[in-house]
Amino acid sequence: MSGSPSMPDSHTSLSPLKLIGLVVLFIALALLPFVWGNRFYISLITEIMIYGLLAMSLDVLLGYTGLLSFMHNAYLGIGAYVVGLFLIHVSPTSLWLACLVGVVFTGLVALPVGWIQVRTGGLAFALLTLAFGMMFYTIVWKWYGLTGGDDGLMGVPSPDIQLFGWSVGNTGNPAHMYLLTLFVVAIALILTRRIISSPFGAVLEAIRENEERAAFVGINVRRYKLFGWMLACVLAGTAGALYILCKGYIGPVTMSAFAGAGVLMMVLLGGLGTLWGPIVGAGIFIYIQDYISTMTEHWEIFLGIVVIFLVLFMPTGFVGLGNFFKRLRKD
Amino acid sequence: MATNRLCIEFEKTGLRSIIGPNGAGKTTFINIITGRIPASSGKVHFQGAEITNKPTHELVKLGICRTFQITSIFNNLTVFENVRIAKQANSGGSLRIFSTKKSLKKVACDTWVILERLGLKDLAGLPAKNMSYGDQRILEVAIALAGDPEILFLDEPTAGMSPAETKHISDLIKGLSKEISIVLVEHDMDMVMRISDKITVLHYGSIIAEGAPEEIRTNQLVREAYLGKDT
Repeated sequence: MSGSPSMPDSHTSLSPLKLIGLVVLFIALALLPFVWGNRFYISLITEIMIYGLLAMSLDVLLGYTGLLSFMHNAYLGIGAYVVGLFLIHVSPTSLWLACLVGVVFTGLVALPVGWIQVRTGGLAFALLTLAFGMMFYTIVWKWYGLTGGDDGLMGVPSPDIQLFGWSVGNTGNPAHMYLLTLFVVAIALILTRRIISSPFGAVLEAIRENEERAAFVGINVRRYKLFGWMLACVLAGTAGALYILCKGYIGPVTMSAFAGAGVLMMVLLGGLGTLWGPIVGAGIFIYIQDYISTMTEHWEIFLGIVVIFLVLFMPTGFVGLGNFFKRLRKD
Repeated sequence: MATNRLCIEFEKTGLRSIIGPNGAGKTTFINIITGRIPASSGKVHFQGAEITNKPTHELVKLGICRTFQITSIFNNLTVFENVRIAKQANSGGSLRIFSTKKSLKKVACDTWVILERLGLKDLAGLPAKNMSYGDQRILEVAIALAGDPEILFLDEPTAGMSPAETKHISDLIKGLSKEISIVLVEHDMDMVMRISDKITVLHYGSIIAEGAPEEIRTNQLVREAYLGKDT
């Protein structure tokens, strides 16, 4: 190692081969609705991508900053309700403005909550996320006049998708909504990966590894935990905006603690600290849920068994499966 | 363990050891100065300004760094990353969210200098958790050094080390003490007597003696504290 030594980082940049593979995958996904007319599955994949974005945002918190949020779905819910209410009451056609308002509002709610939560760590932090999440759930559930309470928010209009003054589609069309979601999630994934690989990402990882040591190398731990929290919540709010546009409806169940546990399972199923793992996890989770629920309404039992199996035999999730096979071959 | 009416002044450079029987309050004392536990009374001054109960990360920025008795490193990061994050935290750039980690060239350079100096260069790519215990103790010092300390507190850096490793680290500490102020808490008396410029002896949270190693060696109070009154 003479001259300019290489950097012994634990994550390296993508190899050209992987990069080409990802571009091909993206193009294939973008072409999918044109060759496959099944509206049901196109919508299902859209939902997978939206929950994938939510699970990825939880991974920023759990896998990179080491903070557990039991009810990250609350911030998807806030984003979704605000976008829905904006489209219903303010302007039924302003798609981008509605999304902007929804994401900014989610951030504004997350800021004071985060400010309180980062004063703690570990279990106390996790319990606070549960407490705040339950609070938001109850507000949405009980505020019948605004949110529709138990019935949920119905009749959300489907705005046109405007790009540079041109209307390129409508969110009510499953294929158009699929493409919009694909682009937004892909951009979010690229940006998040970029942020995680930045010096800022290194700070988050140091906090995850050893909070006390991080403070003793000069890191303002609370401040960076808050930044990590805000990033995760803004991404969740973005997923919420896509959610309401895709479904045209949201009910309080989406913001329940039960749904929150589901998001956590997606992250664990896919693999912590990988960003794309949780997206895969969301796919597995939603597919199992959809498939099994056609046979029995007790699909949670089956999913529970899958999760128990995973935790016992594949603690690093599906992402860890690759390494597992590599080890097998070596032996 | 509490400390009681301690008054110590540290020099700009040199090696000051703090010794004392178990429970004398040595670690408590440096915990208070470095902001790990709050001081219930008393004052800490640094370079003319009061720093009592300031947040830890601000103390580090002022140049007050430390190591821990129980190894405290970033286990799943590589040796290089362990030192780099400490360097980065004190050089700025932590908010550059769209740059790559490599873009902080100066940080990387300084990191290599520290790794080279402490003999950790060949281990740079190794996850810290896979290092030997002795190497982890050295990494602990490397992380503290990356904070550009003006004063460095070392809490039993040689605890559990082999004689060869102890020799390596004590030479290193002695070398550092020519540039910065080192405060050493240590149980290894041979090492303390050999490398200290000045020794402070604590007993039940109070100072019972202070001076050069020869003075401490012959001090009657110190002998009593360690061995009991009868001897």
